[in-house]
Amino acid sequence: MEYKQKNPDALVDMIDIHKYFGSVQVLRGIDFHVDRQEIVGLLGDNGAGKSTLIKVLTGFHTLTRGQIFFDGDGVDIASPHDARELGIETVHQDLALVPLMSIARNFWLGQEPTYKVGPFHFMDKKLMASESIHALADVGIHIRDPEETVGTMSGGERQSIAIGRAVYFGKKLLILDEPTSALSVGETQKVLDYTIAAKEKGMSVIFITHNIRHVYEVADRFTIIERGHKLGDFYKSEVTENEVADMIVTGQIPERLRLYEEVAVGD
Amino acid sequence: MMQAYLENKNEGRNIGLLVTLLMFGFTLIGALVALMVLLWWMPLGEYENILLDDFNAYEVIVIIAGVIYAVCCARTTFGLLRREQSSLRWSQWMFFIALIIGGAILLSVIIPVGLKFALLLGQNIDLRTQITEEVGGLVPTVLSIGEGLISISVLVLVLIALLALFVFIIPPLESLRRMEGIRLIVAPPRRLIQAILLVFALGIICVLIAGIYAVPLHLDKTKIRIAEDHRILAGLIFFLPAFFGYRQVRQMREESDELRRAVALTPGKFIRAELAKSPSAGAIIGFIAIFMTFTMATDLFLEPSSIASYLSNVATKGVIAIGVTYLMISGEFDLSVGSVLGVAALSFMLFMTEGAPVLGVLDPIPAALLAIFVAMVLGAVNGVLLITTRIPSFIVTLGTLLAYRAITLVAIAGGRILRYRDYHAEFPVFVISNIVFVALAVIGLALVAFTAYRVLPVLLQGAGRAWSIRRENGDFGTSGAIIRFAVFLVILLILLAIVLWLVAVFGYHIGGELVEVGYFDLFNGRVSYIGSEGDFFHLEIPRDANVRLAILWWFIFVAIFHIILTSTSFGNSIFAAGGNEGAARAQGVNVDRVKVQNFVIVAGLTGIAAIYETARNPGVDPLKGQGWELEVIAMTVIGGALLTGGYGSVVGSLLGALIFGMLQTGLVLVGIESRLFSGTVGVIIIAAVVLNTFVRGAQRN
Ligand SMILES: Nc1ncnc2c1ncn2[C@@H]1O[C@H](COP(=O)(O)OP(=O)(O)OP(=O)(O)O)[C@@H](O)[C@H]1O
Ligand SMILES: [Mg+2]
Repeated sequence: MEYKQKNPDALVDMIDIHKYFGSVQVLRGIDFHVDRQEIVGLLGDNGAGKSTLIKVLTGFHTLTRGQIFFDGDGVDIASPHDARELGIETVHQDLALVPLMSIARNFWLGQEPTYKVGPFHFMDKKLMASESIHALADVGIHIRDPEETVGTMSGGERQSIAIGRAVYFGKKLLILDEPTSALSVGETQKVLDYTIAAKEKGMSVIFITHNIRHVYEVADRFTIIERGHKLGDFYKSEVTENEVADMIVTGQIPERLRLYEEVAVGD
Repeated sequence: MMQAYLENKNEGRNIGLLVTLLMFGFTLIGALVALMVLLWWMPLGEYENILLDDFNAYEVIVIIAGVIYAVCCARTTFGLLRREQSSLRWSQWMFFIALIIGGAILLSVIIPVGLKFALLLGQNIDLRTQITEEVGGLVPTVLSIGEGLISISVLVLVLIALLALFVFIIPPLESLRRMEGIRLIVAPPRRLIQAILLVFALGIICVLIAGIYAVPLHLDKTKIRIAEDHRILAGLIFFLPAFFGYRQVRQMREESDELRRAVALTPGKFIRAELAKSPSAGAIIGFIAIFMTFTMATDLFLEPSSIASYLSNVATKGVIAIGVTYLMISGEFDLSVGSVLGVAALSFMLFMTEGAPVLGVLDPIPAALLAIFVAMVLGAVNGVLLITTRIPSFIVTLGTLLAYRAITLVAIAGGRILRYRDYHAEFPVFVISNIVFVALAVIGLALVAFTAYRVLPVLLQGAGRAWSIRRENGDFGTSGAIIRFAVFLVILLILLAIVLWLVAVFGYHIGGELVEVGYFDLFNGRVSYIGSEGDFFHLEIPRDANVRLAILWWFIFVAIFHIILTSTSFGNSIFAAGGNEGAARAQGVNVDRVKVQNFVIVAGLTGIAAIYETARNPGVDPLKGQGWELEVIAMTVIGGALLTGGYGSVVGSLLGALIFGMLQTGLVLVGIESRLFSGTVGVIIIAAVVLNTFVRGAQRN
């Protein structure tokens, strides 16, 4: 089937995304887009398919049906490596770090800096250590020792490192799947600040969380999905925090907003 | 109070002077021991092996160590007299070393007596009747045995030593739990440890008592007993004062915050923390323990022939263990290596004799390469089966274990052995100029020089920085960098000496007649001498030492694969693939490819091992390699690799293989029946893994 881009100016335009795991139909025809320099809050109840949708976008899952456009081109993201090449960095909800490896090695995993000795490439361990310290310090995470194994760190520290890594490497799109679930109030505020900073630097952000307050503070638009379907897109100016929360819980669009929704669907 | 002493105050004087005196005492002891051995007053080793006009390996080691120890103690004594802060730390280390020496000497009595007792048990001897016979039907008492008096003194002394050891072990365990930066999930309950240690100590005492009863019945009375008695005394001379000194200094350190900061880590903690960093901590401890045990239990263990025997025996399996370690770190498992080995050996043999399809009869080197390729194809099949079916690798390779075995079973008719000799061909040889060897040695020289060029400046810088920090802070500060530098320098010099020697050996006849080298010898020949007879640099290997070239290849492979694992991005992705497959994939690591690559690597190394085996004994039977898979996995697991993936080291697999080899050879040497071998290995595996887990538990949660 031929797909046409629906939002020609968008950074990411995912059209008619279907994802089945065997007979389990997790995503059933979702259209999702992210504009340039936009923070989108991707919301929905547990098991709605948010993580699955971004895993499709980052090449972790191959999609069953549908088409992804990135930067105006139809792309076939076959692996997470492809997604990284496009400039997409992700903090996954459940796949952040390797506990038995050191901070520095986790930080650079998949794109280790190397130097050449004759025909051989060796990891530049010194650079890995110093750069990871600096990069994490830049986003406000101060680590004692880059050689420390991640397994010895607290859940929040781990999450911070994963976020720091995504912020450091992200070029065009930053995807944060429940980034603040283990963070203290202060750390959470930092994450919200980077999110805005990233936007100001010209990146777009997809922010997934169950904490409406956080996402309402930073997001420009909300996309709500409900058991594999999209309920709708809502700009912040159109909805209140409570309405968003209600929609997630009830899976219904309030009377007042139906009009917007039809307009949005119609164009 | 020690602090007071160091600050030149009056109240700490007595203790301070006592410690100083003790330290001076150890200076004397160190020097005396070295001198006594040097002047043949104190020959070491069992009687039959002592040659008065020659030093054996023990004696040389003891002399060198004694001198170094005496010098260090003298420096420390001097420091204590001058009241330098760092002398405290030095004294701790010196006492610690004395403790270990004393403990080792004591163990050297305990272990053989225990072993001899175990031997008696193994022979099903009823101790009671034997003893009764010996003393003429009387109720056996210690005194009624000829050397009873000695036995009692031995017993009492050993008991004291054990008690001291017992008191000494508990506090470090306690402090391990409090160690900064380290979190134990479940601290082992102290009571339990105490109970275990108590039972253990009681057990040792029982064994000792029984052993002391039993030994005179079976062994020559005049020799060993007296020597052991001396050793007990010597051990206690080291152990008890050192124990006192160590405790004293540690107590001092605990009392003062300032000193605690200065003497950051006590020796025990330092060693434990360093061990916790290594994946193969259990293997290191196990290696040292087993090595020491056998060294003390029998003199023969340090003979070149024994060392060669245990190295040669495991070199081939060790090569496979490298690959299995890779695979295990990436979270997979290969049961089919034994069958792959059989197929590769068969292919190698057939390619040289019957000929390969299309290519015809091959020379040994192409035949070997092709056989290794065949093995790699089998490995690739394993890997592809795994990633396409997503069946656990245990099942996949269990299937291929059986399937690949069918190849050799079908190819070699029932129970026969396919021998090279049956083809009435001479063993293949090639002729080569000496220059090639010289060139190789020169390349080695260049490699050493290059390493030095890259690493030395960095280490020197670090050492310099540490040195100036020491200077600035008075004498505080770390000396780790300095020690690292020194150790590296020594290793470098040794390597340099070896390479230069090789250059000399081969350069001696440069341009002279050509050398004839057997292909099989090149792969895994027996090395009996290096350099030609009559040369100055000539090295002859003892006639009974079976030194195989595969040992050298094995070490080279270990070095290469260690570097790949720890210092390349491929190595990094191996760890990630096994540590958290999803996270690795999410970061763009192609986990499937890494796994297939690892299966190919294992199979390739197995192919190489097959070449060694076939070269050593040019014959292939249908069951060649059967059962190897489990032994190799055992080596890997002893070496610290986690069965669940994500953790392990190639050096660990080397140690695991060495432990295996030492057990095989050592048990025969001490006269324990080889039937006990697998039982012992079983115990060792579990012990090593428990140790690994315990040390690692201190590191992660
Ligand atoms: N690999 C898989 N195989 C089968 N079903 C899956 C798989 N991954 C996800 N699912 C199913 O898809 C549904 C959506 O999962 P997903 O993780 O996308 O939800 P989510 O919106 O991120 O929820 P949460 O807010 O709890 O993180 C769930 O019902 C889950 O069981
Ligand atoms: Mg989710």
